Amino acid sequence: MRQLTLAAVVAAALLSAGAARAAESWGLPGEEIVRFEAKVVDLLCELTGDCPAQCGAGTRQLGLLKDDGTLVLPLKNQTFFSGAVDELIDFCAQRVVADGLMVTNRGYTIFALQFVKAAPDGKWRRADRFPSKWAKRNGLDPKDKKVKRWFENDPRVEALIARDGKLGLGLEADRKFLEAQ
Amino acid sequence: MAGLVGVALGAGALGAGAPAQAAAGQRVKVTGEVIDSWCYLTEIMYPEGTAHHQCALWCAAGGIPVGILADDGTVYTVLKIEGDSTSNANPKVLEIQSRRVTVEGDLYARDGINYLLIDRVVDDQGIVKLTHDDYGIQPFGE
Repeated sequence: MRQLTLAAVVAAALLSAGAARAAESWGLPGEEIVRFEAKVVDLLCELTGDCPAQCGAGTRQLGLLKDDGTLVLPLKNQTFFSGAVDELIDFCAQRVVADGLMVTNRGYTIFALQFVKAAPDGKWRRADRFPSKWAKRNGLDPKDKKVKRWFENDPRVEALIARDGKLGLGLEADRKFLEAQ
Repeated sequence: MAGLVGVALGAGALGAGAPAQAAAGQRVKVTGEVIDSWCYLTEIMYPEGTAHHQCALWCAAGGIPVGILADDGTVYTVLKIEGDSTSNANPKVLEIQSRRVTVEGDLYARDGINYLLIDRVVDDQGIVKLTHDDYGIQPFGE
């Protein structure tokens, strides 16, 4: 099995930060750099007809519906351990140009969003809005030092790890494992 | 079918971007591990069981779609759970991350992706895939 280190992926993401608004390789298996126009849709609405206002206002996963009817699943943005909803919700029901990586692996094709703009001539945005939105949701200044490593400071995750441990087997299992390392 | 169309049309009046057509789902019962879809489908690190539990929580809290890896290798993307249509960092889904579960719901297959709307978690065996002795704690080792 091909395994890449997180460091390599992060380095690729950071390298792309200062680049022109064009997606760059992250070295993922089955990746293809793509740019396409699509409409931002609420996935549940698109599939079932259950359509609340504003695509669920950030509570639901969003998709990219291409002109040929293909529904693309965006799984990732450009920041640590975060998805694409916070990057796309401002464009609910609008057409965008999406720039990123189409990844086909293990029999599935998913999309990593690196840049997005309103179609056809909007201003490019990096898909990196998650941390600042996370800060706002958690009552922090976006420049707070906790925001960069938000995942280690997320109160929902902290509560679960405080209860179940990092392995999910309880605190005693964590203690024994980490002591043996 | 007439009822379904009526629901779709009615919802379209309220919601933005309503689809031109919506199909009925297929009833399914699925058993497998609740996973972080991104790490599993890109293989950027070892993505299953206890070794990856902490990272799976991070990714679910970060809004990466959560999946279920069924015993036959099929990956399902969870869009709804027990009547709750929140699929972006839903606390109910964080609660069952990495666990082996059996769920019932409706499957919508579209363009190669299996979207799953879970009605009910009928069995929860907890976290049963013990992978940390072989893979450590992914991705940072602590």
